[in-house]
Amino acid sequence: MEQYELLKGWAETNIESTMFYILAMMAIPFAYGVILDKAIIRSGFLLIGVFGSICGLFLLLQAQFLALAQLMIYAVGITLVIVIALMLTNPRMETIRQAEPASPNQLGAFMVAVGLFMTIYLSVRPETWNLSSENLDPANVELIGRALCTDYSLPFEFSSVLLLAALIGAVMLAKADKPRKKGEDDLEYSVVDGRPATGDRHAEHEPVGAKR
Amino acid sequence: MTSATQPIINKQSDSTALAFAVAYTIITFCIVAAYATGFLNGLLLGAGLGPTLESWQLKDYTELIAFVMIVILGSIVALMGGRTSVVMAVGTIGSFFALTLNQHPLIQYLTLAAVLFAIGLYGMVVSRNAVRVLMSIELMLNAVNINLVAFARYVDPIHIKGQIFAIFILTVAAAEAAVGLAIVLSIYRNTSTVDMERFNLLKW
Repeated sequence: MEQYELLKGWAETNIESTMFYILAMMAIPFAYGVILDKAIIRSGFLLIGVFGSICGLFLLLQAQFLALAQLMIYAVGITLVIVIALMLTNPRMETIRQAEPASPNQLGAFMVAVGLFMTIYLSVRPETWNLSSENLDPANVELIGRALCTDYSLPFEFSSVLLLAALIGAVMLAKADKPRKKGEDDLEYSVVDGRPATGDRHAEHEPVGAKR
Repeated sequence: MTSATQPIINKQSDSTALAFAVAYTIITFCIVAAYATGFLNGLLLGAGLGPTLESWQLKDYTELIAFVMIVILGSIVALMGGRTSVVMAVGTIGSFFALTLNQHPLIQYLTLAAVLFAIGLYGMVVSRNAVRVLMSIELMLNAVNINLVAFARYVDPIHIKGQIFAIFILTVAAAEAAVGLAIVLSIYRNTSTVDMERFNLLKW
């Protein structure tokens, strides 16, 4: 009981640290759920949990603008796109995976991941950071806006060009070929070797995977 | 649609795997508690490891010993047949606790970001579904964002440059997700699979 009181007092004085640990305890299992869950559609939804906990971490770090942007772009936008892509590609493939042997590079991947983590931790751990003792201005959205319009205006404009290019490219890549109706005469593709095409030409283009 | 309604989790030998995982959880908790109360440190010094630790300059790094213990124990339990996902998650959380207790908040955030990055890397290499690879990449980008925002809070609170860079990463991540998923969709339309092992279009 005394320990509990001690712990409670510690939690009350270190509310930031407590919240950090709670959010970290949420983020790590959600991340494992994303990469290990057998039903892939569920891991798509668990991604919302990861992004939500990271949004909470941003709020703890007093980055309000980034927290809301994280919630809107990642937890809603990107997750929605991923779930739609999961629905369009066949998610039942994961049930077939059960019968297959595990991926042969699992052990190697584990060792690489642990080694990477150890390297990052050992380089981060020595306390040689130039820590600033000043507090962050609570109204830092204004700072961000000012910086984006003055010092970083060129990267800002370029990022908008990048988004436009990505938008057009994604539409072009994902656009489905128009299904051709039988007997409908196309303008320049309808004549093959001097005779009109049958209109069934797409039947010849069997998907590659169908023959496996 | 019958295959979709089948139970996808393998039920056989479930209880032993779960028992191993529970035992591992308890042992990990004990190790973390021993480290947090300073008991592990005293144990190591009492076992005559004190001079060795000093000569290896590990005296201030006793949390690394707890981490290595947890990882080796987790590998043994997973090889003996414990349920891998539970063992990995518990081991990660336990070692995260052991590595970040009594540290500066900046190091705590950086360690969390490193954990998420390593999880994303592991998922990217292991998973065979192309969409899941993209999800892992999103995880890694988020870990980088945590790093940048933590730097903006603790190192550079005057001109929060880290947050501005995080905004750019957010933009690029959105573009990457859209284009990557469009590519996956187009590959799926041509080959009717999203299995990474079957993408050998560029092989000759």
